[in-house]
Amino acid sequence: MDLILQAFGQFNSPTVLVALVIGGLWGTLAGVLPGIGTVAALIIALPFTFAMTTEASMALFLSIYVTSVYGGSISAILINTPGTPQSAATVLDGFPMAQAGKADLAIGWATVASFVGGIFSLIILILAAPALARVSVAFGPPAIFAIVLFALTCIAWLSEGSMAKGLLGGMIGLWLTTIGPDNYTGMTRFHFGTEMLRGGLTLIPILIGLFALSEVFVRAANLGQTTPGTEMNVGFRLPPIGDMLRRWREFLRASVMGTFIGILPGTGAMAATFATYTAAKRFSPNRDKLGTGEPDGLIASETSNNAVTGGALVPTMALGIPGDGGTLVLLGVMTIKGVTPGFDLVNNNPHVLTAAFMMVFLANIIMVGTGVFSARLFRHLLRVPEPLLMGMILLFSLVGAFVVRGNPLDLIVCVLAGMAGVLLRLARYPVAPIVIGVALGFIFEAKLRQGLIASRGSVWDFITDPIALPIFALTAVILVASVARAVRATPVKEAP
Amino acid sequence: MTMRATLIGASALALAAGAAMAEYPERAVTIMVPFAAGGGADVPARFLAQELERELGQSIVVTNVVGAGGTIGATQLADGPSDGYNIGFMPVGTTTTQPHLRGTSYNDESFTPICMVASGPFYLVVSPDGGIESWEDFEAKATGEGATFTGAAPGSLAHVTSVALGAMFDSEIGYLPTSGGGEAVNEVMGGRADATAWFSDYDVRFGLNALAIFAPERSEIHPDVPTSGEFGHPSDIAVWMGLFAPADTPDDVIATLDAACAAAVSSDGFVTNMTEANREIRHMDAAAFDTFFHAAYEQNGELLRNAGLVSN
Repeated sequence: MDLILQAFGQFNSPTVLVALVIGGLWGTLAGVLPGIGTVAALIIALPFTFAMTTEASMALFLSIYVTSVYGGSISAILINTPGTPQSAATVLDGFPMAQAGKADLAIGWATVASFVGGIFSLIILILAAPALARVSVAFGPPAIFAIVLFALTCIAWLSEGSMAKGLLGGMIGLWLTTIGPDNYTGMTRFHFGTEMLRGGLTLIPILIGLFALSEVFVRAANLGQTTPGTEMNVGFRLPPIGDMLRRWREFLRASVMGTFIGILPGTGAMAATFATYTAAKRFSPNRDKLGTGEPDGLIASETSNNAVTGGALVPTMALGIPGDGGTLVLLGVMTIKGVTPGFDLVNNNPHVLTAAFMMVFLANIIMVGTGVFSARLFRHLLRVPEPLLMGMILLFSLVGAFVVRGNPLDLIVCVLAGMAGVLLRLARYPVAPIVIGVALGFIFEAKLRQGLIASRGSVWDFITDPIALPIFALTAVILVASVARAVRATPVKEAP
Repeated sequence: MTMRATLIGASALALAAGAAMAEYPERAVTIMVPFAAGGGADVPARFLAQELERELGQSIVVTNVVGAGGTIGATQLADGPSDGYNIGFMPVGTTTTQPHLRGTSYNDESFTPICMVASGPFYLVVSPDGGIESWEDFEAKATGEGATFTGAAPGSLAHVTSVALGAMFDSEIGYLPTSGGGEAVNEVMGGRADATAWFSDYDVRFGLNALAIFAPERSEIHPDVPTSGEFGHPSDIAVWMGLFAPADTPDDVIATLDAACAAAVSSDGFVTNMTEANREIRHMDAAAFDTFFHAAYEQNGELLRNAGLVSN
């Protein structure tokens, strides 16, 4: 109780609340804008913190961190382009739902799902941060590799009907991540002697190119058939309460998986959303409708990616080890402001921690408000003449691709990925498997290599890691079961 | 008058440059940091930029060019205009180990050092519940059943530390590379590695124990942590960082920046900010930093060659 009172002391200046609201507005907007993701949104806000108090800076950054993850879902639903990488899986069910004239309902589901995930993970963060931080360090490279492998099997779900195309896409995605520095030997791979490729590729320019730019190119070439927006019913509609309650299992599974994978440092929201989506594909009662505009798909993606926020804050706050790219910048800002997250914070300054928890709570509330607001805004935005709208998307995409690393290569990659995206659409190849490959490829390789270095090259020791083994087994069982299902279903599906 | 006299003998190009430099700086100066915003090299750079703005009377823009151990940014800086408006804030690894390791297009001759700003000596840190309580314990494990050290990618300063420890103990020390930063600490806390190298905030941030400091003298921050020299293995391993300009930047520009940097580093604002962020200031002026930098470049090159990490 004392702690809470002390924490309230941090709010004695209204600037903290103002910072939370501004952070929420900017975070949501940045999330919505294709290209400007969580990390870019935080980096852009960084210079402003120099003139701000410690508490206000923390409030601004926590608010941006929480709301930007949510903002990405709005553009995923309305324009078939994830606003942030974390919302890549939201496209799968969000856009079909919007095309069916239920965009307002899709945004409603995404908002509720995000809120549930955010609050669930916050409660876990408050109750058990130091204890869970201890658990997280027990997850060695083989265990994290096993989780990433489980998430990768999502490619198989997304490729039903064209398994070869999907697997090929996934392999291309994985290969793209091997370009650049090999962090385990110090060599540089596939750089063809150029300076630019030495740093390798990153996810964001490829994601933006494949989704946003290819959409712009296709529409510019007038290859698209219709202009969405009129019949989509853009807005905000709360899903029926009964419908939400009936899906409590989906919310719970996504919350737990998102929070837990978020706790494991460096594993990230992409692994969490795709692992959760894979689990929904297996365990949801509506699994056969997943990918066609099913709320369970939105819950899997949006609940888990927002649950990652609270999860990733666990090692950041309790151990001083950032859980993902966003918390890395957050940790930097707290350090600049003289607050060192980690051991000392937990043991000697718990009121700062409590204040941070309250900020995350308020940011989640603000998120719902900014969500309703920006859904309304979008209704007007989509009435903007299409060339203007596409021009804006192009501009923000290129800014977003460039701002994270400042490497001109990323602009080239983004445009090339955009052109590749057009070709892939024409050839009816799904783009999602490539994105999943790139998103998970870095950590996939890192944990495989680290694990094998630690086991001195023994594959047996790697696979029989006590935490990894059950996850490997689960992955195998699910894969075999689904392949069997697919094989049985094949004759029916392929009938002309 | 003296200004005109110096200009007469110069070439047309230098003349134009000289004239432009007459009132340096007359527009915003960009400081490139080759690592991510909010990271270890970025934080002191932003503190410094704040004070330099006051000293130089122009706005200072900090940009981050991230990738490949900072070599992407360093290459851009080396190839960029040497007019004093594009300078970089770079650490030891980017400037003195990566060129040897990766065969970059730049080397120590590509830059003119302006000033050293910060230096964080490395400590040998272990988990409090790993059973290693002292330098002797660690040495016994390293020479006996074998020890595993962890840190960022091969060629990083943590890896250099691991190689140096192997040489001190005359035994092979296993190295578990990570993507750096907190991930190495994660491996130490999880018991998958015995030790890593970290800065003076190892206790407040991670609650870890230090066995020794790799410095000639004990630190004021941790006066109870012995130096490696006290165990018979003197060393000086620190992540230092400072301002660099591309080679061929005019001398008067370097002099202006050197003076501004000296004033900025001793300013109250900078000292307070650095102290609050648990960072250690170490200032060297252009002349001293120049000697130090070239010596460090040679030393680290030799160390990496001896470790078999230089392939070309």
